[in-house]
Amino acid sequence: MALDTKYTNWQVAGLVALRVLIGWHFLYEGIAKLMKPGWTAAGYLLQSKWLFSGLFHAMAANEAVMDAVNFLNIWGLIFIGLGLIVGAFTRAASLAGMALILLYYVCNPPLVGLYYTIPSEGNYLIVNKNIVELAALFVLFLFPTGKILGMDRLISRLLNRIRS
Amino acid sequence: MSKGKNDKGKSEKKPADGTTMDRRDFLQGMATVPVLGVFGAALAGKIITDKRSESAAVRKTTAGDISDLNIALLGAGAEGQVLMNACLKIPGIRFKAVCDIWTDYNQLRAVRILQKYKHDVTGYEDYREMLDKEKDLDAVLIATPDFWHAEQTIACLEAGLDVYCEKEMSNTLEGAARMVEAARRTGKLLQIGHQRRSNPRYIHCYEKLIKEAGLLGRITSANGQWNRSVQPDLGWPARYAIDPAVLKKYGYASMHQFRNWRWYRGLGGGPIVDLGSHQIDIFNWFLETPPSAVMASGGTDYYDRATHEWYDTVLALFEYETDQGMVRASYQTLTTNSSEGYFENFLGDQGTLNISESANRGGVYREPSAPPWDQWVTQGLLSKPVPSLPVDTAGAVLDVRETVSPDKHEIPVTFTDPYHQPHLENFFNAVRGTGTLNCPPDIGYETAVTVLKVNDAVEAARRLRYGKDEFRIQ
Ligand SMILES: NC(=O)c1ccc[n+]([C@@H]2O[C@H](COP(=O)([O-])OP(=O)(O)OC[C@H]3O[C@@H](n4cnc5c(N)ncnc54)[C@H](O)[C@@H]3O)[C@@H](O)[C@H]2O)c1
Repeated sequence: MALDTKYTNWQVAGLVALRVLIGWHFLYEGIAKLMKPGWTAAGYLLQSKWLFSGLFHAMAANEAVMDAVNFLNIWGLIFIGLGLIVGAFTRAASLAGMALILLYYVCNPPLVGLYYTIPSEGNYLIVNKNIVELAALFVLFLFPTGKILGMDRLISRLLNRIRS
Repeated sequence: MSKGKNDKGKSEKKPADGTTMDRRDFLQGMATVPVLGVFGAALAGKIITDKRSESAAVRKTTAGDISDLNIALLGAGAEGQVLMNACLKIPGIRFKAVCDIWTDYNQLRAVRILQKYKHDVTGYEDYREMLDKEKDLDAVLIATPDFWHAEQTIACLEAGLDVYCEKEMSNTLEGAARMVEAARRTGKLLQIGHQRRSNPRYIHCYEKLIKEAGLLGRITSANGQWNRSVQPDLGWPARYAIDPAVLKKYGYASMHQFRNWRWYRGLGGGPIVDLGSHQIDIFNWFLETPPSAVMASGGTDYYDRATHEWYDTVLALFEYETDQGMVRASYQTLTTNSSEGYFENFLGDQGTLNISESANRGGVYREPSAPPWDQWVTQGLLSKPVPSLPVDTAGAVLDVRETVSPDKHEIPVTFTDPYHQPHLENFFNAVRGTGTLNCPPDIGYETAVTVLKVNDAVEAARRLRYGKDEFRIQ
């Protein structure tokens, strides 16, 4: 297919695959939490050990705050995931995803000298899968594909039409 | 994609301003939307399998016929009250009498509680008087000290009553044998109080995990323990002390002996009989045979031997010649340290089962080399695996990415009723003719033979064999 930008077809395929895979991950993380009755991020926040841990602990202790945090987290994950999969508002979704993941990372970073009781499925030193996914989202932000293979293509046409 | 189709025919060149959409724009714009379909299908599949495995794990007992039963409690001490409280939760059970020789203490307390629950009960000191006067009883629950079980059970059976008798069936083999014979002779029901036999978690482990799924593979070993902390001797409020003449009439030399009967020869069997019988009974049940030999080391090492005639510490080794081959099992009771509490473990070449009566404790662990268990998780026999918490891994050599330790599967049957309730319900169902006993006298006898020989083995200080016909009353 002919492309509007200077990416090669393989570059597009690679970027779109990355976008869809990360989107899938976000979407299921959100839906899984939604389906788990009484799921709350409080346990994760209470684990917090590093910078801002005082803030995270205080958030976990306040029920109203936790309700809001849980709501934003779950629906944030779901909408970011949907956006990335279908390629709608791709750059905004990438940025929002980075912000969410940054929060997770800052909350429980695998730094030297910090020990967590929540088991992790791998072994990490400073770099964990969160930070890798964050970097991948940054790549998606810099090399957006929504207008090539994604609904951003239709959205931008519509916006242009409204503007003109 | 369908939108693309609608556009068929009017595919003109896209103008430079980027405001119109042609067919190709739609195709490219919607290119990744079908992923949502795949996602939805995967999600639906996951929800369905999870639901199925959850609903398979939920078992309901049906109430069945609940005609009222008139029952008496014989022995209203610690265990008698536990049984009484469990019965108060079971529909259709009406207490008519409480018999206990500690008339103004345990008997009075039980009578008062039952009256509070609107049971019209009469108290008795002597069980024979109760049997004479109470003519419309259906069944009796016996929770007196072990050395009274044989005489009282036989008298109740002969009076035409069905009997639930606490373990240990008797403190002597001769007494237990007479109980089996009396049950056969009278045709009345006798349930022995090894309540794990009716515990839905234990039944699930035996019937589903071991029998149906064969999860453990070939069981090669078992171990169990009941460790408890140091406890002072049981006392009594001085003003409620029983008249020595009455004590003597019922076989007790003193108030101390009456309260601490478990430790005395001729009255109880010590911790190995008191606690061990529950768990060694599970060995016999799950391994489907009583053992062929036992060795044991034990003694009264810590407490005063004058008041602790039976051993405060016993370590026993059993040999089980099962259909699958030899199983060697160890069991211990400690009364000086409570480390790890009480549980039973069954170890096979494909997995490990850990089970305890205590608070839904337990788990199943797959050997790394065993075939996957996903099928059993889907069928609801096991919970999904929870990764075991990495123990401190410092210094250990790990695989590149994963921390290798067997995943834990929970036993997906939770049980929140009083521990004895299902065993009592099983008994009452049998009395009503809607069920069969989970622990009839032959099983109780087999366990009594198994357990009482441990004390013999300690005494003999060598390996004792069980004769095959030792476990059966002809
Ligand atoms: N299944 C279990 O989990 C479990 C747990 C504890 C005890 N038990 C069994 O229950 C039985 C009782 O144990 P316990 O801990 O309640 O002992 P206990 O000493 O607390 O109670 C025994 C009661 O029986 C009464 N009694 C004694 N001799 C009597 C007689 N001849 N006639 C009438 N009443 C008499 C005593 O006054 C006392 O109230 C024992 O056989 C024990 O092995 C079973």
